Amino acid sequence: MASDPKGSQLRRILLIFFSLSIILPLSSPSPTMHNNNWAVLVCTSRFWFNYRHMANTLSLYRTVKRLGIPDERIILMLADDMACNARNNYPAQVFNNENHQLNLYGDNVEVDYRGYEVTVENFLRVLTGRHEASVPRSKRLLSDEGSHILLYMTGHGGNEFLKFQDTEELQSHDLADAVKQMKEKNRFKELLIMVDTCQAATLFSQLQSPGVVAIGSSMKGENSYSHHLDPDVGVSVVDRFTFYTLAFFERLDMYSNASLNSLFTSYDPTLLMSTAYYRTDLYERPLNMVPVTNFFGSVMKTIPTDSAYPGFLVAHASEYATISAETETARVVLEDEADHSKTYDQSEKGLQHILDEWLKLLEGKLGVKDPEVLVAYGLGSMVLLLTISTWLSS
Amino acid sequence: MGLFKSVNQLGAWGHFKILGPIIIYASVLSVFPLGSSLWFLDGERFTSGPLTGGGVMASHTFLSLLLFYLYSFHLLRPIYCSFGSNGFETTSVPKEEEFSEELLLKPLPDYKVLAHFHFTSISPPSSSNGKHHHLFPKSIAQLVKKYKIRELELSFTQGRWNYDRWGASDPLSTANGKPPGVELWALFDIPTKEEIDATWRNLTHSLSGLFCASINFLESSTSYSAPLWGFLPNNGDLRYGALPREAVCTENLTPWLKLLPCRDKAGIASLLDRPSIYRGHYHSQRLKLRSDGLNGIVIEQTLSVVLQPIDRTSWSMHQLFKKSLTGKCALAKSSKVFLEIERSLVSQNENILELVGEADMVTNDQRDHSTIYQYNVERYSEHEALDIRVNWKKLLQVSFLQAPLHASRFLMGSGNERGSIAISLQSARNSTKGLYDNSKNCFTRVVILQVVPWYVKVYYHTLRIYVDGAIRDAKDVVEKINVTPSEDKVSPGTLEMMLQFPCGMMSAALILDFDKGFLHIDEYPPDANQGFDIPSALVSFPDFISRRIYPDSISSPLLQSYKGRNIVKSYTEVLLVPLTTPDFSMPYNVITFTCTVLALYFGSMVNVLRRRVSEEERLAKSKDKRKPGLIPLLISKISNKVRGIKEDSANQSQSSEPILGPKVVFKVVLIALIAVLGHYFFNSS
Repeated sequence: MASDPKGSQLRRILLIFFSLSIILPLSSPSPTMHNNNWAVLVCTSRFWFNYRHMANTLSLYRTVKRLGIPDERIILMLADDMACNARNNYPAQVFNNENHQLNLYGDNVEVDYRGYEVTVENFLRVLTGRHEASVPRSKRLLSDEGSHILLYMTGHGGNEFLKFQDTEELQSHDLADAVKQMKEKNRFKELLIMVDTCQAATLFSQLQSPGVVAIGSSMKGENSYSHHLDPDVGVSVVDRFTFYTLAFFERLDMYSNASLNSLFTSYDPTLLMSTAYYRTDLYERPLNMVPVTNFFGSVMKTIPTDSAYPGFLVAHASEYATISAETETARVVLEDEADHSKTYDQSEKGLQHILDEWLKLLEGKLGVKDPEVLVAYGLGSMVLLLTISTWLSS
Repeated sequence: MGLFKSVNQLGAWGHFKILGPIIIYASVLSVFPLGSSLWFLDGERFTSGPLTGGGVMASHTFLSLLLFYLYSFHLLRPIYCSFGSNGFETTSVPKEEEFSEELLLKPLPDYKVLAHFHFTSISPPSSSNGKHHHLFPKSIAQLVKKYKIRELELSFTQGRWNYDRWGASDPLSTANGKPPGVELWALFDIPTKEEIDATWRNLTHSLSGLFCASINFLESSTSYSAPLWGFLPNNGDLRYGALPREAVCTENLTPWLKLLPCRDKAGIASLLDRPSIYRGHYHSQRLKLRSDGLNGIVIEQTLSVVLQPIDRTSWSMHQLFKKSLTGKCALAKSSKVFLEIERSLVSQNENILELVGEADMVTNDQRDHSTIYQYNVERYSEHEALDIRVNWKKLLQVSFLQAPLHASRFLMGSGNERGSIAISLQSARNSTKGLYDNSKNCFTRVVILQVVPWYVKVYYHTLRIYVDGAIRDAKDVVEKINVTPSEDKVSPGTLEMMLQFPCGMMSAALILDFDKGFLHIDEYPPDANQGFDIPSALVSFPDFISRRIYPDSISSPLLQSYKGRNIVKSYTEVLLVPLTTPDFSMPYNVITFTCTVLALYFGSMVNVLRRRVSEEERLAKSKDKRKPGLIPLLISKISNKVRGIKEDSANQSQSSEPILGPKVVFKVVLIALIAVLGHYFFNSS
């Protein structure tokens, strides 16, 4: 490498870039705007009588699509086929209201995981991004450190678990671990978890990662109830919590500034027949300052780069000769910053050195002297202290 | 992407042929560390879907294979030419990409209506656009190139084609009849078996992303097979898999429609109103593609729906689809609607049905089986929508051309241990007059392909063949047989069988015994109680060709495909095998129950062993005795404390004796005693 000065220079530049990427989050607080939005919508219930869970999920799907999240950024998991179910009197249609005004299963639904594919394993794989090599892009959550993710889950649950397909459970620990892993992998900036199940609040008890807000439909020991039954479809078509969430969102459009706080306060326990629970202690921003469209809507930030693929830097190394002065100065700044970090490292190292010396000294002293004497002196001084204190107290 | 543009700028295709692959190879190699996503910059989901998925295949092998592929146009041309496959008959190779849309409506004898949508896209091998396409779906082109697919067919079907009533030996039913659920088969241009299997796995994942279906369940080796001649004669490069229980719904149709240049916004596809077509009795959506150096890539997308008109005696297009056809897709080369009337429906009485709407052309096929009414969609507009109306004057029960033998399959036996699969073949002689004579040397050949999942353990030696009720020696009937026994949790069992039956035979039955296997508790699906599906068996009749030849004046890819040598075949029913399913809550119950028993046992045992009744009684008595006044209690407490301190200090001194000198300890205890006494003294004073 030394024989190739151009290559070594390139290496240095790359190194600086890498160091910058490590320093940046330390030196400056993360920017307030996120880069992109993702939504993971999960219906975990199988069988026809759980129609409402699919309707819940599809309602949310429709809402986030209406508010701007495109299909390729939505992972939709539906555990059963309700729309073309033989029991459905309205083929290829799913309704969440008995007035049948709105067909949720319109002409443009893209289901990413369906049927037997909706398992705890696949769910955790989607969250953590640990897929088999051949899994297509449309089935992956390709979020990054600037993403806001909405995670909506509905199904049957209990104390600290959510049932998948009536056979498996997702436990609150699993969820917390997955979220933690996501955080460590820089897969999200902020995450909103919304769960509509019985005892939904218990599912959040293990969450520890910063940047997570959680809303559950009910507290521990409470059930979440369905809203109403559609006599034509023959089953309940929507759950209460989702129904009132949708009622809130129906008033909004892409440009609305309604805050998360207004969403949270919009739930009326008498209407829900359960107490909606919010966990906000992991979240830094004040809720009344965060628009709901930060999670339910979409932004697409374009990041200008020199080249579409960082690999082109390697391929077109010669282009560096014609780099503009502006980028040159930027690079100098970067180098300065890198130097700064180096000195910081040194000072820290010095401090550690001193501490080590002191410990060594102590160890030596203790080692040399007779421990018996030390103990005796200690006891003596204690007795002395005791007498003095009793004297004073009397 | 820029690279390919620059390649194009070299100019002539001839240049590209020589230099192209080398340039591509070289330049792509230099760029490659980033994964294959380079190729698929298009934002659309379905274009980027399939390729990035498999992007993990070793990049260099992929590239060298691509190179090989490009050259294979050159090298394999003669082979391609000689390889005649059924179904496709493209006569002339167009210079440009072409798209054509067609709809064929056919009244069925039971007053239902078959609507068959047929979309054809052709991409010539030497595209003037390089890697770009303007009509042809890019995602499919990439799929073909990446996985080196020679032929592929994917079908999504709901319901079962009624061979008895809707016909079995005309080209339309031969092509339309598909097993319920998903069926996928593909022929690859890859030499080794291992590579084919790996490619198949990646292909299933790509298709699953592309069509929003769980086709990726076909990736496991337990779910697909490689029949050699039972499905389609091949050299071991065919893979076949079926998922009988896969749901088919809107989400599968939408990506399929997105492959069309006009989607469902204009042209014939705009008729596809989801609630109407999914209300049908039969619904089959197919994608069939063939790729070779001569013709490029040809995709046939067909959708067949059997609909029940509200009024049985009179229906129109608008009534069926709730939409009207107002014009053609502007990008389509041809846009036509056909109405096919079988001769058997009209020949007996000419006035049995009445058509409203003037056809552009009326023709009969060569053998006079059917009449075709052709309507050119470009003549119609929003002011004058195309609406074909058919009125029946008289209801009659006829059936269409039958297959030589009617195949059905069923299960025998009871219990959760063993059973038998039976395939019964019934002669349909009355409807195929003239095909048989009773001479001794006349034989009907029947090919059966049966794929059985491993947990249904078929004993192939138990094969019994009955002809007209009498058991026959297998040697007399079986002409050719190929059995791939199943391997537990590795591969399914495949049975390919060519049988020879005498022409005069009325019925035949084949019976195979099987044992039901046990699955691991994790392998059961969530609804295991419903039973397990055995995919449809395929029964084909290689001596019977279904073809219809129409005059050349009709240029239509749909009717062209009728001319092909389609072998008559039919799929049997899907079988539902109930397997022993464990009580899934049993482990939980067992754990809780045993834990309770253990806890009870352990608790009582410990109680019995460790409890000292006499001591407890004494303690209780002494407690009762000791109920003195406040002052004695205090005194006793103080004395206890003092004693306690003494003991403690004594203990301490004893324990620390070896460390500390006795003198020091004595001093310490003395001082402590003095201090304590002093404390009490001062406090009390």
